Amino acid sequence: MGSPNLHLSRRQVLGIAAGGVVGAVGFRYLTLQLPGGSQTVASAAGAWASPLETPAGLAAHFLRRATFGYTAGELDAASSMSYPDLVDMVVNEQAQPLPQIAAATSHAAVVRAWYEHMASTPAQFPERMTLFWHGLLTSDYRKAARLPFVLQQNQLYRSMGRGDFRTLINAVTYDPLMIRYLDLEESTDAAPNENYSRELMELFTLGVGHYTETDVREGARAFSGIRTVLVDSAGRRIQPPKLKGSTPAAYAQALQELMTQGARFKGVLATRQHDSGAKTFLGHTGNLDPAQALDIILSHPACAPHIARAALVQFCTPSPSTALINSVATQFLKSNYDIKTLMRAIFTNDAFRSPDAYRSLVRGPTDFMVATMRALSRPDLAAMCVQSAPGMDQILYDMPTVAGWPSNQGWVSSGTWLSRVNFAAGVVATEQRFPDPVAAVHTHLDGVVGPDTATVFNARQGAGDKWYALLASPEFQLK
Amino acid sequence: MITRRDFMVSGITATGVGIIVPPVFAKSVFAATVENIHNDHVLVVLQLGGGNDGLNTVIPYADPAYMQARPTIAIPADKVLPLNAAVGLNPVMPGINKLFDAGQVALVQGVGYPNPVYSHFESLYIWEHADPTLRQTEGWLGKLLAGQLDGQGHPLTGCALGQVSTPAELLAQNATVSVIDSIPTYQVQGGAGRRVAAPALYKKTPGVYGALFDEALTTAEDGIAALADSQRRYTPSVTYTPQSTVYGGKNSLATSLQLTAEMIVTQPSVKICHVVLGGFDTHQDEDARQNALLAYVDSAVSAFMQDISNHGMADRVVLMTWSEFGRRVAENGGKGTDHGAAAPIFVVGKPVKGGVFGEQPSLTSTVDSGNLKYNVDFRSVYQSLIRDWLQADPTAVLGASFPELPIIQTASS
Repeated sequence: MGSPNLHLSRRQVLGIAAGGVVGAVGFRYLTLQLPGGSQTVASAAGAWASPLETPAGLAAHFLRRATFGYTAGELDAASSMSYPDLVDMVVNEQAQPLPQIAAATSHAAVVRAWYEHMASTPAQFPERMTLFWHGLLTSDYRKAARLPFVLQQNQLYRSMGRGDFRTLINAVTYDPLMIRYLDLEESTDAAPNENYSRELMELFTLGVGHYTETDVREGARAFSGIRTVLVDSAGRRIQPPKLKGSTPAAYAQALQELMTQGARFKGVLATRQHDSGAKTFLGHTGNLDPAQALDIILSHPACAPHIARAALVQFCTPSPSTALINSVATQFLKSNYDIKTLMRAIFTNDAFRSPDAYRSLVRGPTDFMVATMRALSRPDLAAMCVQSAPGMDQILYDMPTVAGWPSNQGWVSSGTWLSRVNFAAGVVATEQRFPDPVAAVHTHLDGVVGPDTATVFNARQGAGDKWYALLASPEFQLK
Repeated sequence: MITRRDFMVSGITATGVGIIVPPVFAKSVFAATVENIHNDHVLVVLQLGGGNDGLNTVIPYADPAYMQARPTIAIPADKVLPLNAAVGLNPVMPGINKLFDAGQVALVQGVGYPNPVYSHFESLYIWEHADPTLRQTEGWLGKLLAGQLDGQGHPLTGCALGQVSTPAELLAQNATVSVIDSIPTYQVQGGAGRRVAAPALYKKTPGVYGALFDEALTTAEDGIAALADSQRRYTPSVTYTPQSTVYGGKNSLATSLQLTAEMIVTQPSVKICHVVLGGFDTHQDEDARQNALLAYVDSAVSAFMQDISNHGMADRVVLMTWSEFGRRVAENGGKGTDHGAAAPIFVVGKPVKGGVFGEQPSLTSTVDSGNLKYNVDFRSVYQSLIRDWLQADPTAVLGASFPELPIIQTASS
């Protein structure tokens, strides 16, 4: 195409031109909010033309955020529903369990199976929420490399990630991977370890400024004595296989057999190592145990806004206003921390569907890779996702820090962007029969593309080259 | 001449859209930028992530309070490598000890800031932004880079090496940063067609992320071109020994420092290199873990300094370590230590003025129930490095002046 007409109406969405050519749409100058303050980043070509006033545009926008992407058929079905019905249907989806994994103690095997499940299950929202909670209530496989703790935590977040937050955070406190990750296992009444107490308040529930160093220490006392035990399918405590004198393979096999018979690890409060004395925690005094300490945290006015903000940044807008956070947090709190209510409040908010919300979030690496698999109906590319994830800086269950991954602009560097275009090249190289690329520009990019993408797309003849342009494009990195 | 930076940021607001980017654009920026760089000094910043325990790194072996506070993890006095009558190095650090004896290590004791915070993320923010009030939004190295070292967006002046995301220290609106995990993978893959198509997708991207996206891929494109023959022009003169067993497989410090040497040897425009080693958050089993990490730091840094020296570039390179905080004086019940405050840092290189600077904080007269009081503001270290080493203006980055810390040899010293 020649010089693009950049003076189109923002709302105009071009149709497909003759000969499979796509047109470029729209610009406006905007500012980008960066954490810690507002900064202006000029864009060479203004804003994207928002299609959110059309049912298909809004449905696609919602599905890109609440799920990991869709096929043309799924988008058509979603577009034919009223938006509130669509939100309700998706938010109420029942999770499908992760298929049985032959190597339950292998981090790589669990992660690969999860990618494949994310790409193939029709129950998308439960998987998206599992990833959301994994990114907020973080853990890392490294301290539990020979144990099935990653798998168990993944199953926990899938089954409890859409219930109520009180139940979830109690379960997380007794989750074997979390117990390992934040050093609860070593925490005794004589020497309470502060790690979980601090990160629970700082990162998971309240945020800096809402607790004191004394609260960290008193909280550590309340959470002391949590231990991991192995139980059989009837809940009876059993002895784990001996690591000493066993080879790693034999140990893994012994564990695998127990797990197949229904055994699982669980956290318990070992009363003899728990400090049952009086504590003063966040202004409350008593012989607090973990559940009571969590209730105190959940009664703190900073808790609901903290979680609402985290969810808004992932699902709605990179820099939510205080008013938006408070509005969503109020509904969350009124529902007694019901997570579906939280998510419905986000998806049905005006801010979610305003023109400024269009393409205002950057797809994270998992999101980008799974959306690619879904666009091509290729869940078998899960192994390639495992290979490619480090270069984009998101290895599941391998956090850079307990604060989790970056979001939005934090994903962007010269290195990560090379990895993304190279993932697109790798995917295209494995594909034999491509869906129609021009139709895909409409299905996956709403037909709203910038001049560069249009030029590259139109200049290439082969379907593979056109799919490369689509998957490597800036448009496909956004949602 | 319109620079890429002008185009990316200010040019748009001034002249509106429709600017045509000349095809020779990247090359002309390269030429102009190299001329503007006023010396060949390089600063390597080594981040020890997680909060390195200073008291088991530089041990106050003559102080009985040290053994008392750490009954299970103290390093006995007869094991330390003494630097003077009061302090000595952890015995796993013979390489740094040797460099110290050669006058190439400035050990700065008791580094911190007023009103210490014990959150990793707040304290990281403070060090990264050189601001204990948490108001600055740009990283100190990014601000230095964009404002004084390279205002025109040369791709390789500021580098994060052995990693894939931009470290916060280097993040600034106008800072161009190349983030290179390894040179062999820093390529557009998939053949000649992809090498043309990928950058062409990112020239005038609309939307709030447009400039950020375009900057990322243009920086990669320019960096790839500049690095095309680097592997022919650099051969390591020493053996770097990656230790993948240290805290899982995550740590590639030796590989990162070898890449740093390659960048310095082959790329005249390199000014700032950032590398990182994680795993220092030793709430438990500190004795084994921290010793393994420090031994790794010692071997990797020693190899790097030797390699740089063998390439005849010892006069060009200074390396600084930092960590977001030290750790509590007293050990906890799990053979570990919890988050603390002041700690020592190392500044290494031939241009350094060797010796021990600052004072070892008291182990008994502490702040916040058992944490070390700082006596050197970390910004004094930054100030010396910016002014005396990189010969730039520290107040433009730090916003104020801090007490002098003469750790770099200068013409007058």
